[in-house]
Amino acid sequence: MADPQRLDLPHDARDPPPRARDSLWILPLAPTVWALHFLASYVTGAVWCAKVAGYGGPLGDARVLVGIYTAVALAIIALVGMAGWRRHSYGDATAPHDFATAADRHRFLGFATVLLAALSFVATLLVALPAVFTGSCR
Amino acid sequence: MPALPIPFLTHGRRLTAAAGVLALAACDGPQSTLTPAGVGAERIADLWWWMFGGAVVIWVVVIGLAVYATRFGTGRHDVRRARLLIIGAGAVFPTVVLTALLIWGLRLMPVLRPPTGDAAVRVEVEGLRWWWRVTYVTPDGRRIPLANEIRLPVGQMAAFTLTSPDVIHSFWIPSLGGKMDMIPGRVTELALEPTRTGVFRGACAEYCGTSHALMQFGVEVLEPAAFDDWLATQAAPAEAPASPEAARGRELFLAFGCGACHAVRGTPADGTIGPDLTHVGGRLTLGAGILPNDPAAFARWIGDTHEVKPDAEMPPFGMLPAADLRALALYLDGLT
Amino acid sequence: MSDDTETRRAAAQAERLLTAWKTPTGWRYWSAVNNSEVGLWYTTVAFAFFFFAGILGLLIRAQLAVPGNDFLDADTYNQVFTLHGTVMMFLFAVPIFEAFSIMILPEMLGARDLPFPRLSAYGFWSFLIGGVFVCGSILFDAAPKGGWFMYPPLTTEYQDGVGVDIWLLGLSFIEVASIAAAVELIVGILKCRPPGMRINLMPLYAWYLLVVAAMILFAFPPLITGDLLFEMQRAFDWPFFDPDRGGDPLLWQHLFWIFGHPEVYIIFLPAIALVATMVPVFARRPIVGYSWIVLAAVGTGFISFGLWVHHMYTTGLPGLTLGFFSAASVAVAIPTGIQIFCFVATALAGRVIASTPMLYVSGALAIFVIGGLTGVMVALAPFDFQVHDTYFIVAHVHYVLVGGVVFPVTGAFYYFYPLAGGKTLSDRLGRIAFWLMFSGFNIAFLPMHLTGLRGMPRRVFTYEGGVGFDVLNLVSSIGAFILAAGFAVFLWDVLRPKGRQPYSPRNPWNAGTLEWLGEMPDKPWGVRSIPVIESRNPLWDQPNLVRDVDAGRFYLPDAEELKRETLVTSILDAEPIQCLRVPGPTFLTMGAAAGTGGVFIFSTYHWWWLAGLSGVLALGMVLTWLWTGTALIPEKPAKDVGLGTTLPLYKSGPQSVGWWAMFITMMGDMTAFAGLVFGYYFYWTIHEDFPPDPAAGPGVAWPLTALGLFLAAWLLTVLARRWNAGGRRQSFFAALGLACLLTVAGTAALATGPAVTGLDPTAHVYPATVWVLVLWVGIHAAVGVVMLLYCIARGFAGKLTPQWDIDIHVVTLFWHFLAVTVLVTVATLAGFPLVA
Repeated sequence: MADPQRLDLPHDARDPPPRARDSLWILPLAPTVWALHFLASYVTGAVWCAKVAGYGGPLGDARVLVGIYTAVALAIIALVGMAGWRRHSYGDATAPHDFATAADRHRFLGFATVLLAALSFVATLLVALPAVFTGSCR
Repeated sequence: MPALPIPFLTHGRRLTAAAGVLALAACDGPQSTLTPAGVGAERIADLWWWMFGGAVVIWVVVIGLAVYATRFGTGRHDVRRARLLIIGAGAVFPTVVLTALLIWGLRLMPVLRPPTGDAAVRVEVEGLRWWWRVTYVTPDGRRIPLANEIRLPVGQMAAFTLTSPDVIHSFWIPSLGGKMDMIPGRVTELALEPTRTGVFRGACAEYCGTSHALMQFGVEVLEPAAFDDWLATQAAPAEAPASPEAARGRELFLAFGCGACHAVRGTPADGTIGPDLTHVGGRLTLGAGILPNDPAAFARWIGDTHEVKPDAEMPPFGMLPAADLRALALYLDGLT
Repeated sequence: MSDDTETRRAAAQAERLLTAWKTPTGWRYWSAVNNSEVGLWYTTVAFAFFFFAGILGLLIRAQLAVPGNDFLDADTYNQVFTLHGTVMMFLFAVPIFEAFSIMILPEMLGARDLPFPRLSAYGFWSFLIGGVFVCGSILFDAAPKGGWFMYPPLTTEYQDGVGVDIWLLGLSFIEVASIAAAVELIVGILKCRPPGMRINLMPLYAWYLLVVAAMILFAFPPLITGDLLFEMQRAFDWPFFDPDRGGDPLLWQHLFWIFGHPEVYIIFLPAIALVATMVPVFARRPIVGYSWIVLAAVGTGFISFGLWVHHMYTTGLPGLTLGFFSAASVAVAIPTGIQIFCFVATALAGRVIASTPMLYVSGALAIFVIGGLTGVMVALAPFDFQVHDTYFIVAHVHYVLVGGVVFPVTGAFYYFYPLAGGKTLSDRLGRIAFWLMFSGFNIAFLPMHLTGLRGMPRRVFTYEGGVGFDVLNLVSSIGAFILAAGFAVFLWDVLRPKGRQPYSPRNPWNAGTLEWLGEMPDKPWGVRSIPVIESRNPLWDQPNLVRDVDAGRFYLPDAEELKRETLVTSILDAEPIQCLRVPGPTFLTMGAAAGTGGVFIFSTYHWWWLAGLSGVLALGMVLTWLWTGTALIPEKPAKDVGLGTTLPLYKSGPQSVGWWAMFITMMGDMTAFAGLVFGYYFYWTIHEDFPPDPAAGPGVAWPLTALGLFLAAWLLTVLARRWNAGGRRQSFFAALGLACLLTVAGTAALATGPAVTGLDPTAHVYPATVWVLVLWVGIHAAVGVVMLLYCIARGFAGKLTPQWDIDIHVVTLFWHFLAVTVLVTVATLAGFPLVA
C-alpha cells in the first residue's frame, strides 16, 4: 500500500523551488492552441462556403488557409511541449512526480504539459485531415 | 418481393399478411439499414460491419485485460509494465485506429454527397405535419404533384430537394441511404441511387410534434421502363369513377368541399393545402404510410381522422352517414 | 503542562469548535449552509428526481412494449419522453455531481467548508424550486413536449401551452445554480486545499472537478443566451428562429449543442472522477498514470467543445464542417481511452480486492466501453447519416450515461454512504441490486442498437408490427423493468431502518485520501485540525496522521472567537495565506432562491408584476446577505492559526476569494455575451445582405456617445478604487456617484440609437439582434449601478474603508468586464454595418 520508495527523496528536495517560472496556465496552453486552430478552421470553412463558394462550390484557398493555420498551430504546440519537457527533466527525479517538493511540482506541471501538447498535436493533425480529403462545399 | 409496407393500426385480415412478412423478414425489415438497396446504404452498411467487428474485438480485449488485471494478474506485473499498457493500449493504438477510421469516413463523404447536376430523376419533397408533399420535376420542367410516396428507377441517381414550411422534419429511406433534415427557411439536398428493385419504407426521423410517429411513406424501386409508365400515369388526370356508387362519392367529395384542400386533377377540386389525391387509390399506403390502401381504410381515415392521426390538420368527417362514407371511400380507392 | 491540563485544553478547544460549527436544530435546521447538510439535501433531491425520471422511462417502455399500443396517447407520450430526458440531464446528472462535490470535496481537501457556503445553499434551493416546478408540470398535463432539445420552430410556433416556457425558465434557473456551483468548486479547489497539498499532490477527484467547473463556465452560458432569445421570441415575438422574418432555427441548434455536448462530459468526468477515487483504494496502491489522467481530464475538457455539430450532421452543413467536427469527435476518444487504461493499469500493478463499489465500477467499465465504441462509430458523419435520430442513438446515449454516470455514481453511493450517516449499506443487497441492474440494463438497451439499425426512429409514441421492431422492443421493455427492480432493491437498502446497525469503523475501505479522516459518525467541523499534507495518499503514507489531527496538533484546532474559519492557501504550493471566516446558517439564501424562482415562474405565466415583485425580493435578500455576510471587517487584522503561524483574516484585491468568484462568474457572463454576438454574425453568414438596410441601423453617433459615457463611468470606478486606497474619501464618493449617472445616461444613449431610427424588433431578425444586445448591456448596466450604489452605502456605513476595501475591488473587476461588453456591442452595432 504505502510506496516503499517514498522516503528516498531526490537530491534536489531542498533546492530552491523554481516557482517564478511556474503557473497553472501552462497546462491549458497547448489545448487552447488546438481550440483556436479548430475554431479558425471551422469559421474559415463555414464563411467560405456561405459567402464565397456557395453549397457545392470549390474549397480552393480555404484549404490553403487551413494548412497555414495547421502549420502555425503545430509549431506553437511543439514549443509549449518543449517548455514542458524542460520542466519535466529538471533535476534528476523521474515520474510520477509525487514528492511533496516544489521541484517535483515543477516537474509534474512540465510532464502534464508535455502530455497535453502531445494530445493537442495529434488532435490538431486530425482536425486538419478533412481539409486534405474534402474538395468542395458539398 | 415482400407485400409491403405493412401498415399498422389495422386488424383482422391484414394480420395474416403481417405474420407472413414477419417470418420473411425475421432478421430484417423493409426499413432496415442492414439490407441495403442503394449505393449510400451499401457503403454505410459495409462501414458498419467493419466497425462492428472491430468493436467486438476491442471490447473483448479491453474487458479481458480488466478481468485479467483484477483476477489473475495480481502481483505478476510491475508499474513499468502497467505504464507501458497506458501508452500502448491507451494512447498509441487508439490514435492509429481512429486516424484510419476518420480517413475512411472522410473519403466516403463525396460518395454519399455526389454532384447532382446529371441526376436522372428530380424530386422535390416538402415535409409537413404529418405528411409529405412530393413533386416530380421532369427534365422538360413539368411538375407532377403527388404525396406520401416515392418511386424510383433502379440504377439511376435521384436528386431530392428538401424543404419544410412548418417545423423541422427529416427525410429518410433507410434501405437506400442516409437521412437529410428538412428545415424551414433552408433548402437541403439528398442524392440516392437504388441498386435493386423492391418495396421499402421511409420515415420522418426528426421529432416534429404530436404525430411524428405517424409520418412515413412507401417507397418502391422499379425497372426504368416501369418507372416511366408509373410517372406517366401520375402525370395524367384522374380516371372517371367506375361505378355509380363511386360517382356518387365524387359528387359528395365536391359537395363537402374536400376540394378546398385537396386536388383531384381533372375535376374542379384544386386545393393545395392537403395532399394531391389524383391517384391516391394507386398508392402503396394511406395517411402517410400508416394505413393500407383499401376502401375500409379510406372510410376510417375520413371518419376517424384524429383517432388515426392525433392533431392532424384535416378535420374528421365522422358525422357523415355510413353510406356517404362508403361512397367517398369507394371513389377515392378507385383513383388509381 | 501536565497531560491533564493538555487534555482539558483540547476538550475546551473541541467544545468551542463544535459550538462554532453546530448544525441548527428544529425548524432552523433548514437554515443550515454547511457543506455536509447542503450536500446531503442536494444528493437526496437529485436522487428523488432520478427515480421520478426513471418512472417516466418505465412508462415509455410500457407504451413501446407492443406495436400500436394505446397505453399512452401521443400527446402524453411526448410529454413523458421530453420530461424523462430533461429531468435525467438537468435535474439528476448535472446536480448529482454538484451534490457529491459539495458533500465530499471539502472533506477531501481537509477544509472545514467551501469558501461560499451560502452560495451552495442558494444553488440548492434554486435547484429544488426549479426542479419541482418542471417535474410538477406533468401532473397538470402542462409539461414541455418538444423533446429535451426543444427545437424551434416546433416549440416557438406550434406548441402553445406553458410547457415550453416551463422548460426554458425552469432550466435557466437551474443553470444559474450550476454556475454558482462552478464558482464554488473552482475557488474551493484552487484556494482551499490543506497546507502542503501542492498541485501535484491534489486528489484526482479535485482535478476532474476543476476541469468540469471550468467547462460549466463555457458550456452553460450559451444555453442561457439561447434561452433568452427563445423566450424573447415566445413572449414578445422577436423572430430569432422564424425564417419568414430572417431568423433561423439552426441558430438554436448551435447554441443548444455548444452547451449540450460539453454537458455530456460535464456529467461524465465527475463520475469518472469517482472511479479514479475508488480504483486505487481497492487496488491497494496509488493510481498508475496520475499525470496521464490529468492530461485526459484537461484534454477531454477542451476537445469536448469541438463536438457540437455532430448532433447536426444531417442538417445539410457543408462536408468540410462535418469533417472538422468528425475529427474532433474521434480525437476525444483518445483521452477517454487513456483514462480507462490508467484504471486497468492500476488494477494490474496492484492487488485488487472484491467489494460492492468495485463491482459497480467493473459493470460501469463493461457498459461504458460499448458506449464509447458506438460513440466513435457515430462520430463518423456517414454512419451517423443512417443512425442519427434512431434507436441506435438511444442505445448509445444510455450506454454512455448509464455506464459512464449511473453505475459509477451508484458504486460511489455505496462507497461514500458511511460518510453521510456513519452506517454502511448492505453488501448482499448491493450485489443483488447490481446484477439486476446490470442484466436489466443490457437486456433493455443492447437490442436497441439493432432496433435502430433496422430503421426505428426515436421519439415515436408507437410503431407498426411486422417491420422488424416487435420482438426487440418487447425484450427492451422487459429489460427496463428488471433494471427498475435493481433500483428498487438499491432504494430499499438506502431507506431501510439502520438503527440497530453498528457504526462503521473509521476509514472502512482503508482509503488514502482525507475525506476518510473523520470520525463515524462525523462531527460538523469536518476535521478536528487541518493537517499538513505530504503525499497523494496521506492516510497511507503519513504515519500517525489521524492521531495528530484528532489531537488538534495541526492548523485551526480552535475557534476562540466562535466563528467558522477555514484556511486559504496558494494555488500551486498550497502555502497558507489567509484564515477565511465563512458565514453560518441563514434563511436569506432560501428567501433569495424563492425570489429568484418567483421571477422565473411568474414570467412563465406572464404575470409580470408578480415577477417584478419577486425580483425585488430576491435582490433585497441577496443584498442583505452580502451586506451582513461578506467583506466583514475583522476585530483584528490577523490571528494565530496554530503551528506558530499567524495569518491575516482579511485579504483584498486578487487575493480575496470574492475577487476570484467575480472573475469566474464574469468569465461565464462573457461566454453568454459571446453567444449573443455569435448570433449576430451567424445571421450575417446566412443572409445575402445583413444588416438588411444599412440606413435603418442604430447609426454611429448614439452608440459612440454611449461608449464614451460607459468608458467614463468605468474610468471613474477605477479611479474611485485608487482614491479610496489613497484615503481621498470625498473624491471616492463623488466618482462613484458620477459613475452611476453616466451609466444611466450611457444606457439611455445606447437605446436611443435604434429607437430614433425606428428599429422594430418584431419586424425582422436584424432589429431584434440589435435590441437584444442593447437589452443585454442595459441589464448589466443596471447591475453595475446597484454595485456602485452598494459601495457608496458601504462607504458611508464605514464597512468599506481605505484599509478594508474588498467591495470596491470586486466591483471594479465587474466594471472591467462591463467595459469590454459595451466596447464589443458598440463595435458590432455601429461598426459592423459600415464594414459589411
